[in-house]
Amino acid sequence: MLRQEINELLTQTGPRTPMGELFRQYWMPACLAEELPEDGCPPIRLKLLSERLVAFRDSKGQYGLIDEFCAHRGVSLWFGRNEEGGLRCPYHGWKYDTTGQCLDVPSEADNSSFAENVKLTSYPLVKIGDVLWTYMGDPATQPPLPEFEFAQVAPEQTYTSKRWQQSNWMQAFEGGIDSSHVTFLHSGGLKTDPLFKGAKGNEYNLNDTKPFFEVADSEGGLFVGARRNAEDGKYYWRITPWVMPCFTMVPPRGDHPIHGHFWIPIDDENCWAYSFDYHPVRALTPEERQAMIDGHGVHSENIPGTYRPTANMDNDYLMDREAQQRGEYYSGVKGIAIQDSSLQESMGPIVDRTKERLVPADSGIIKARQKLRKAALALRDQGVTPPGVDPAHHRVRSAAVVLPQAESFLDAARDDVRVHPGMPVASV
Amino acid sequence: MAVETSLLSSCARAATAAEARFRIDRPIRPARAARIIALDERAAGIARRAAAVEWASAQFLVCEGVAGGGAIGDFLLRGIEGEPVVLEQTLAGADVVVMLATDDRGAGCAYALGKACWERGIMTAGLVLSDESGADQAVAALRPHARVLLPTADETDLTELLAALRA
Repeated sequence: MLRQEINELLTQTGPRTPMGELFRQYWMPACLAEELPEDGCPPIRLKLLSERLVAFRDSKGQYGLIDEFCAHRGVSLWFGRNEEGGLRCPYHGWKYDTTGQCLDVPSEADNSSFAENVKLTSYPLVKIGDVLWTYMGDPATQPPLPEFEFAQVAPEQTYTSKRWQQSNWMQAFEGGIDSSHVTFLHSGGLKTDPLFKGAKGNEYNLNDTKPFFEVADSEGGLFVGARRNAEDGKYYWRITPWVMPCFTMVPPRGDHPIHGHFWIPIDDENCWAYSFDYHPVRALTPEERQAMIDGHGVHSENIPGTYRPTANMDNDYLMDREAQQRGEYYSGVKGIAIQDSSLQESMGPIVDRTKERLVPADSGIIKARQKLRKAALALRDQGVTPPGVDPAHHRVRSAAVVLPQAESFLDAARDDVRVHPGMPVASV
Repeated sequence: MAVETSLLSSCARAATAAEARFRIDRPIRPARAARIIALDERAAGIARRAAAVEWASAQFLVCEGVAGGGAIGDFLLRGIEGEPVVLEQTLAGADVVVMLATDDRGAGCAYALGKACWERGIMTAGLVLSDESGADQAVAALRPHARVLLPTADETDLTELLAALRA
């Protein structure tokens, strides 16, 4: 459980909040590159960390992320015309470039310098992989660009999707480091999902429903090891990395692509779940890519033209009690992503952590909350740069390995949880 | 095939902040009857400092060794004030035992405690508090006996864990 003030500290990410300032130390996904597919395409509305923004790609291919509202009368620039190097407000024609600088105020005299003094808040927007990344902090302390492996490999080796989750980011994120729920909630998927099934590791998962856990600090966050019995007196370890504040990876299964998530606050009651899959040594097969597009694995089937899942709280996630009875879906909800989101959204927009009954198996979550709280307060009180800002911290992988009982998972798998470009993941 | 639900929007209504106001709001009892057992001298010091905090039902103990074959009566166990404690009694009613170690000298205690807890269906957790090389051996010593293991250099992890567990 958490005291109410700590719960508020961790869940509030708006401007001038401690966690909001923490998030503003990092590059984070703002949107998918597919949302701005070509030069001069329509702008999109975004809300990030409770700030309403508009993203656009100008006629020269420059990306911009600026205040959603025109400086003149507060009109949403989503209605703007993306034309000739800028976004023009359709109300009175004020025009802004990708830095938020006003270029034109048509009502002013031809030689007026008025526009030079009008500038909207703007943040950098940079394409790396399938994602457009932004940094919403102080420009003076802007860190180097992110180096997460899923965004560094060739386009044919990676796929990223996103979905809207109607809950605070923390309860979504906490699912990402909670290894113990997989054996129950996702047990059906281990047998049938095309992006999961067939791996030897699945047998260990299903045969040992009471894993042991080990939670170890890393430079960027944590490694959470879940240990199950394997044959010949060995242990099967599933190692989940967390890089602060909200990057997690799922341990791999066989030769399937490796996957993970970012959990990005939209506001305090909504977040984006970014889900990626990549293979470090080969292209995704057409079948794998299609399965991802169809919402298998960690991805979701979304309402066409939106990033809202087809199965959502308004239709009770298409609950199928017959499938639950058959054992096809443990919770009656189809798909790993929606199995998670349905339960996390059911907690309410911001779960009341003062009422929790945590158990020792929740130690990864307990430790992550502690690290976030300490980092947010150290930043606020002493200006300490938090873990996970340094791109070196991004170069981690999840792993699934079988080790002798006496070996420490982090010692034995030290190389396996680091990125070695072009080398396969450690997977069973 | 999805079946129709009788309350199409029940999730949508129940999960709103407005509906959350109607959740049952009764005081929660302490959840865990925790026994925190230090396995070596430095760990005993850490346990003493943690014991100074007010806890609902946590008991702090020091295991000074195991005589004989490690049976339940063989434990040399003391309370934080130095008074002798009988393990059988202290485990009765416990639902989690947190073993504290800073090196591997308590491996024998960890083994015997782990066995005693397993026989009684008591959850075990281990905290290895060390920033020195001895931590690896301590972790290895606790690994077979602690269902959850936290190697850490941060002493406050103990109180954070206990607070989270409502100990």
